[in-house]
Amino acid sequence: MCFYCDQFGDKERGDGYWYLNPDNYARNMYKKRAPKQGFAGAETGLETGAHAGPSQQDLINAVENNEKETFDKLQDLMMAGQGAQVVPLDHANKVLELCSPIGLIACLCRKGIRAIDERNEMEYTCMGMGVGMLKWERWPERYKGGVKFVNIEEAIEWNEEMDRRGFCHILMMFGAPFIGGFCQCDYPDCGALRNAVDFGIGTMKSHYLAMVDYDKCNGCGICAQRCQWGALKYEVTSEKPNIDLYKCYGCGLCETGCPRKAISLVGRETMPALSEVWI
Amino acid sequence: MSTLKRIPEFMWGKNFPRLSIDYDKCTVPFLCKKCLQICPEAIFNVSRVMSKEKRLEEMDPRVDGEFVLHVTRRDKCTVCNKCLDVCPVDAITIEEPEFQEFNALKRDKKWDDA
Repeated sequence: MCFYCDQFGDKERGDGYWYLNPDNYARNMYKKRAPKQGFAGAETGLETGAHAGPSQQDLINAVENNEKETFDKLQDLMMAGQGAQVVPLDHANKVLELCSPIGLIACLCRKGIRAIDERNEMEYTCMGMGVGMLKWERWPERYKGGVKFVNIEEAIEWNEEMDRRGFCHILMMFGAPFIGGFCQCDYPDCGALRNAVDFGIGTMKSHYLAMVDYDKCNGCGICAQRCQWGALKYEVTSEKPNIDLYKCYGCGLCETGCPRKAISLVGRETMPALSEVWI
Repeated sequence: MSTLKRIPEFMWGKNFPRLSIDYDKCTVPFLCKKCLQICPEAIFNVSRVMSKEKRLEEMDPRVDGEFVLHVTRRDKCTVCNKCLDVCPVDAITIEEPEFQEFNALKRDKKWDDA
């Protein structure tokens, strides 16, 4: 169990996973969220939540000036003010059953990084969650083109379609443990995933790790196209995939993409060396 | 917090390229979006201007100055100059980093003495 589970999880409800605890979706969580701590990201003019934490510019300056302490402070600030965790598909669908309302919205990371303007309800690749979504009309630029509110079945169907396309699912918190968004991420368009892959900060790994059953695998290579974390590669010697578990975030994309069900997710706690590695 | 640092040791203290954008020339980045979509490392970011008056308004990408181009990830810039070639108004300039010997390759005195 991760450090969010220790704080916000409930053993009886949601098996101890913090994001499956119904309390964390109650209306008062929205009121309780942490006050803004004057993030440096605000001055760069980036409106997106993924960049609203410590700005990437500050991180780069810290690396350039060889300031490891500053870098660690920024990481703590990021996790305190705004955190994120990768979840596999079945947990993602359980989350969708718990929260309400759910609205499909345009992705701000893709809008910022590749200038992709999602103006059509069919194109939306982001999901807003919680009562905060009801106030969407206050920010017409953020929710340009409107919000498509969906019910649980539609949300799960949309989520599985996103999984089929190859996006991995990241829960975004806006002041832990208030879940405000459900990102569908790929590299390099997503801010949260990018910080995780490049800097190793911001996004927490899931409670799972992917393992390959080499007897079932026929080496088709579909999983190698789906890994966004640089963890799974096609091992030429054995003609089978090889997963670097130190890099694996447990998003389960390789598992859901495998046509022969050769990849399975195992609990992170079963690997003593990795059981407490969350970032 | 983490037992694994993602940034390798030789990256710390390394100079990165410095990019600057001439905002007099680059006025409609969201409409143009050429540099944003050609960059192999996706180092650019476009966002609406954040001013108090316009905070709650809808922006029009065709109007000058409604959107601003930023360089958010200059650490990944390879100075491939694709953005310079593609920019229709020549608004981007790249200052190459000074040549630096990697920390990992710096000569250890003990080895010289031996």
